[in-house]
Amino acid sequence: MSKQSLLRLAQADWFGPLVVTLAAIAIIRGFSPDFLSPYNIQTLLIALAINALIAFSQMIIIAIGQMNLSVGAIGGLAAIAFAGMMQVWHLPVALAAILSLLIGIFCGALNGALISATGISAFVITLATLAIYKGINLGITQAQPFYGIAASVKHFGNAALFGLIPMLAVPTAIIAVALWFLLTRLPIGRFILAVGGNEHAASLSGISVRSVVILAHAISGFLAACAGMLLVARLQLGQPSIGDDWLILSFAAPVIGGAVLSGGHVSVVTTLLGVAMVALITQALVVFSIDPFLVQVVLGLLILAAVGINRLRETHLIARRA
Amino acid sequence: MPLSYDTSSAAALPAATSALRSGLPRSRIFISNEFGLILLIVIFALVFGTMTHGFTSHFNLFTLGRNTAVNIMIGLSMMTVIVTGGLNLAVGAIGVCAAMLCGYALQVLHLPWPIALLLALALGAALGAVNGFAVVRTGLHSFIITLATMSIFYGVMIFLTRAEAYRNIPFGFVHFGSMKVLGDVSPLLLLALAVALALAALYRGSVLGREMLATGARREAAELSGIRTGRIITLCHMLSGALATVAALMLVARNGAAIPSMAGQLGQDWLLPAFLAPVLGGAVLNGGKAPVFGTCLGAALVSMLTSGLLLMQLGAFWVQTFLGLLLLLAMFLDKARRSYLAYRNLA
Repeated sequence: MSKQSLLRLAQADWFGPLVVTLAAIAIIRGFSPDFLSPYNIQTLLIALAINALIAFSQMIIIAIGQMNLSVGAIGGLAAIAFAGMMQVWHLPVALAAILSLLIGIFCGALNGALISATGISAFVITLATLAIYKGINLGITQAQPFYGIAASVKHFGNAALFGLIPMLAVPTAIIAVALWFLLTRLPIGRFILAVGGNEHAASLSGISVRSVVILAHAISGFLAACAGMLLVARLQLGQPSIGDDWLILSFAAPVIGGAVLSGGHVSVVTTLLGVAMVALITQALVVFSIDPFLVQVVLGLLILAAVGINRLRETHLIARRA
Repeated sequence: MPLSYDTSSAAALPAATSALRSGLPRSRIFISNEFGLILLIVIFALVFGTMTHGFTSHFNLFTLGRNTAVNIMIGLSMMTVIVTGGLNLAVGAIGVCAAMLCGYALQVLHLPWPIALLLALALGAALGAVNGFAVVRTGLHSFIITLATMSIFYGVMIFLTRAEAYRNIPFGFVHFGSMKVLGDVSPLLLLALAVALALAALYRGSVLGREMLATGARREAAELSGIRTGRIITLCHMLSGALATVAALMLVARNGAAIPSMAGQLGQDWLLPAFLAPVLGGAVLNGGKAPVFGTCLGAALVSMLTSGLLLMQLGAFWVQTFLGLLLLLAMFLDKARRSYLAYRNLA
């Protein structure tokens, strides 16, 4: 019985990534005792908090079998809107935050509406909106950062709960739980996965594919905007270049966590583990004093390895079922 | 359709199609992509010519031709892969890698520049081959493969060059970037047009080109008719890498230096022009179409809009937004044109 439950555990999709993550932690800890110091844990958690939102923003689009190249552009636009509204219009923090989130949701929903209304591939539509959103960002800021961040936001970016858990991780934790609940427990989450699994079947079973696609893109925009605003709190300024380097990262974590790019199969837990693995490997490069320039190379290799393994697992599953 | 048909109906078939063809040309020209693009280019040339100072100056026409040359090469580089129904996000990364090798060969190894160019082209084609091989071998979509290789190529390049530029480029090579022939024409533009003609000949006239188009249109059918589609797809990616290299080398000649950041972070800055030109030119993202002429016109329109918008002093930062809107507009128009054609049973 226990052997059987162990077997079932080993077959769960989060088991492999979890083992790899724990092994990576153990190995890095073995080489560098400072690795699990409170300060280092805090740095790791901050990176994790922001990167997880970026990854979720892409994950929800991968779930419906599409892609969103404009994740970084939406995050950057929301970030400079958040900072700009505080500096130029002197809006209260809460109002600026809500308006920036609405901008993110609007940008995402616009992506979804354009894709579902025209039937043109998500790749080209989001490439076009990437240029549009990024251009608006640069047009507004003239490529200059906004420095006038409210003191409470700066404090939020530096504060830590119990001296260990950074405040920045709190919104991410809440969002992760909410997203898990949405995808696994709510009908709308099942609709999203159903559309990703087989759009035609989903539409035949009475799901409005169009509204599901728009909703998924709106959620993606919301998450990207959250990530952008957390980054403003972390950097203490609204930089126009926020989001420029999110593209690879946003795909790496879900794919490493085992998301199937053709849609229908994503998981909040494995995506989180994918983010953790990326953060650990980046950290390991520092610990082993390997050139930080190589982070890009490692990320690329990880994506290739992950899609290769997923592919093998898929063919293996199909062979077993047959 | 009867299983066996007599000779009269077989003879009637070509006659019918030729009648169909002769009846159509006029309407078909007016709804073709190329006609629309030429119309747009003329309209915008008139608008910019009258509304801005200096659009028709010798200097501006010369730089416009030079930028058009680079955009044509970037667009063709993406088109060769779009033909197979794939895409290549790594065009910028491959171009920069090859350009940096060229800079290294010239500045550190002191090789003569023609050899350095050949080395760079070989590297570009080799990196393209890596992409093609990975796509064919894994059976995964080229999107995720080239997303990963774009990160790998660019990362290795930055690691090896320490993000430093090679500025010691011999005059014989840099001269191409500033030279003028036939009045105000840059030799780079002539080179780009020559490459475009060669590509058009490849797709129109050669067996290899037809095999590429067939593979893109329907891979299973091509496979069944004896085309080694895996090899063809790898070849298309190699061609894409080589063309991206030509674009990057043109930039080296223009800037007088091989700069790691000349295509932006990870070479992402090339993505928009790379997709704009073929999509404007009428390429179908599902593959099977190679509008070489249209891609050149698309690249010319993009270069002209960029130059004109900058001269109108609308703010350099807004140009990207306009180009994004243009891409959206182009796709909507293409969609509308297609539904019109389907409605009229023309396509």
